[in-house]
Amino acid sequence: MKLDNIRLDIDKSGICNLILDTKSSEINVFNESVINDFIKATEFILNNSEIIGIIISSAKESFHDGYDLNYLYSLKFPKDIFETIYRLSKTLRRLETSGKTIVSAISGYTNLGGLELILHSHYKISDNSKNTKIIISNVKYDFCPNIGGTQRLPRLIGISETLDLLLKDEIISPKEALEKKLINKITEKTKLISECKKYIIDNKESLHPWDQKQNISPFSSKNLNYFISKIAMLHAENSDLYHSVKILISCIFEGLNTDINSGLKIEARHFTWLLNNKHNSSMIKTLKFGKPDKSFDKNEIESIKKSFEKNYAAEGVKLLIDGISPSLIENAGKRIGFLNGPLASADKIELQSIISELDSKDAPVAALIRSMQKSDRNGYSKRKGFYNYEKDKKLKIWNGLEELIPSSKKQPKVSEIEKRLLFSCINNILFNYSKLSKLKNKIFYDYISIKEIGLPAWTGGPFTWIKNYDVKNFIKENAEYAKTLGSRFIINENILKEI
Amino acid sequence: MNEAIIYDAVRTPRGKGKKSGALNEVPPVQLASKVLKAIEKRNNINTSDVDDVVLGCVHPTNEQGADIARTAVLEAKWDQTVSGVQVDRFCASGLEAVNIAAGQVMSGQADMSVGGGVESMSRVPMGSSGGAWMTDPTVAYNAYFVPQGISADLLATKYGYSRTDVDSYAVDSQKRADNAWKENRFKKSIISVEDQNQLTILDKDEYMRPNTTMQSLASLDPSFAHIGKNHGFDDVAILKYPEIESIDHVHHAGNSSGIVDGAAAVLIGNKEIGNKYELKPRAKIRSFASIGSEPTIMLTGPADSAEKALKKAKMEASDIDLFEMNEAFAAVVLRFMEAINIDHSKVNVNGGAIALGHPLGATGAIILGTVLDELERRNLSTGLITLCVGAGMGTATIIERM
Repeated sequence: MKLDNIRLDIDKSGICNLILDTKSSEINVFNESVINDFIKATEFILNNSEIIGIIISSAKESFHDGYDLNYLYSLKFPKDIFETIYRLSKTLRRLETSGKTIVSAISGYTNLGGLELILHSHYKISDNSKNTKIIISNVKYDFCPNIGGTQRLPRLIGISETLDLLLKDEIISPKEALEKKLINKITEKTKLISECKKYIIDNKESLHPWDQKQNISPFSSKNLNYFISKIAMLHAENSDLYHSVKILISCIFEGLNTDINSGLKIEARHFTWLLNNKHNSSMIKTLKFGKPDKSFDKNEIESIKKSFEKNYAAEGVKLLIDGISPSLIENAGKRIGFLNGPLASADKIELQSIISELDSKDAPVAALIRSMQKSDRNGYSKRKGFYNYEKDKKLKIWNGLEELIPSSKKQPKVSEIEKRLLFSCINNILFNYSKLSKLKNKIFYDYISIKEIGLPAWTGGPFTWIKNYDVKNFIKENAEYAKTLGSRFIINENILKEI
Repeated sequence: MNEAIIYDAVRTPRGKGKKSGALNEVPPVQLASKVLKAIEKRNNINTSDVDDVVLGCVHPTNEQGADIARTAVLEAKWDQTVSGVQVDRFCASGLEAVNIAAGQVMSGQADMSVGGGVESMSRVPMGSSGGAWMTDPTVAYNAYFVPQGISADLLATKYGYSRTDVDSYAVDSQKRADNAWKENRFKKSIISVEDQNQLTILDKDEYMRPNTTMQSLASLDPSFAHIGKNHGFDDVAILKYPEIESIDHVHHAGNSSGIVDGAAAVLIGNKEIGNKYELKPRAKIRSFASIGSEPTIMLTGPADSAEKALKKAKMEASDIDLFEMNEAFAAVVLRFMEAINIDHSKVNVNGGAIALGHPLGATGAIILGTVLDELERRNLSTGLITLCVGAGMGTATIIERM
């Protein structure tokens, strides 16, 4: 049997060390060739009765990096995605139910995909070297687990613990991994393989808790209330913008109400949808591939960020002048992914600073700001602005505002407000693209827009967002806005070239 | 089409829906079979003439599961030919059951049917039957699910009902219920719940607090502020209603429907079967309707369903003498009265679920009996019964005395 990416090292006692060594790559990943090898190796192991146990280890400095994203993105059709994902998932399932004990020998860094690989083994031993850690990047901005992670993690450590683990960025040391029950033992690097062998000799047959007859689903009526409120909290926090979060919690609910075999299929189907989702996929592409390979001018970025914040706040005040109710403005901002509404942001950056964003058309905006300043309401530092504040806490919108600038009887749909805010934000970022001296690269700028400037991540950055929105419509609809709302909606020649 | 004639309506008293409540010791199937036995005895019918028993029950699980309607038929020792079916339209289940029974008679497919309902909230607590609506993330996201109390507070916020407004309504409900009991206005419908030795377990509604005042209510903390603010539900409601800045949590235990145990049954038949048993026709069903409404605010369906039923009956709201609108939450009734423009003096004249309690599956049938008794007492003609319903629905029935 010829394998390019895996070595099988079988000792006299019948223990097979499956050593991962992805060809022509510094790190272990899953790509087509690796998956094929992994399946071949599994077949070999399962058909060889002399093999009593399996160690999963790495020949590289690091342990495993999960799926090769370029490979995932090369899969275009739902059928291809599903079959690929499920094929690997099913193989891991065959291994863990073969009756032979599987032990992971973890050394070096691993990400969530690598953690998923580890989870199918019955026992997990990690070395204690400084480089050994599990790096979790928040599923909100990434793909959710797809080779059994949504099924095995909650069955192993619990539902709330799984959501806590996956919904933030975290670097987990072996000691912390042991505390979180992600691994079972820590040992010296030199003893890693021998400890694994010892475990196999002592435990010739292994079954996961979820494969035991008395297995009780962690979905009991006890934690149902927790779960119902967790759905609401995640929904509220992410609006409907971050699909991985919804997919993660759906996989857990749907999969844990049945057995793990059906759960793995459920997970693969959800993941197929997620990978095929244009918006989610392009956001991840920006975040994974957009990181600039050179340093940028901090002052340039800072000035773009300031302009962005002022513009967002100013757009909110302009909406107010147009008779839109503060609640609608603020909620529209949150619905498109900002932590604060435009008026709360205005308070934060001080009302005075907005004045510099205004042109001659915006005299009523300046007048409103001046009259608020006259009542000493310049923003957060005064603890009085569009909102009232008590110490650091934001209270309600100032009730004098309605008197100063009454809202119209008939209010538009919130989607219209969202669109205007978003167009204004995207335009502002685009106009400032020319300010960059070094980083004139669209995917870098997409990345920086999210990471440094404050554009919500789900957009994938201004260029990505426009591409997904449709360039022609973006230009056409901006032209419509420009007729009544001013120059911030005029797309000039330079920008047209870029998009 | 045949006329669906109401010949009788009975109910148990409502016991407090907790372990210390008087009806907690009575299994729900016994509550249901007791109202069936009362129907049989009071009307002296041969139960083999009953075609079907339709019972509402919102949590058909555990001892309320496995078709409690058929189980109650057997337990009441009715003829084995009488079939039973349990229905769930959340809080309107009891009324829906009556409507289905009426529909069977109207269409000529039954001569005599029973509609009613049962819920032992002390033994099978609210939420026992789970459901995809709130627990399945895909569904909960798409439906913008929030618990009903949040919907009630959202409704109060949107339509501007203050804490004072809802508390005043609640005080009034208590006064009216107390007055109704003092004048014995429920006597026609109510049966005493007795044990196997004919010893009385409960013969009066147990939940009422006639001494309720604005001051006593003012001391109660809002029930849904904590879950609204700390469990994400306020934010989900605002995602759906972005015109609202923040939700004013005005509802509490004193201005929301009480958690109680109880059962009810309504005997419906055609003219011929009434003649056979020499039963006095009390009222006919003029029309009934159910409707869906926006599910996050959830509780605006009564006005829509009432209008739908009125249209079917070719009537206007002003043609109705008395209304029973289930007091799930005070703001729901306030909104209903405003939406169809009717005066409080015609609505829930003997109090409602705020004072008397709301045994989920039974209430619709109970309040139909209540309004019929009151129409007779006042010698009026028409009544409209309606309830708000979970997941955004409403159900309404119009009756007319004969």
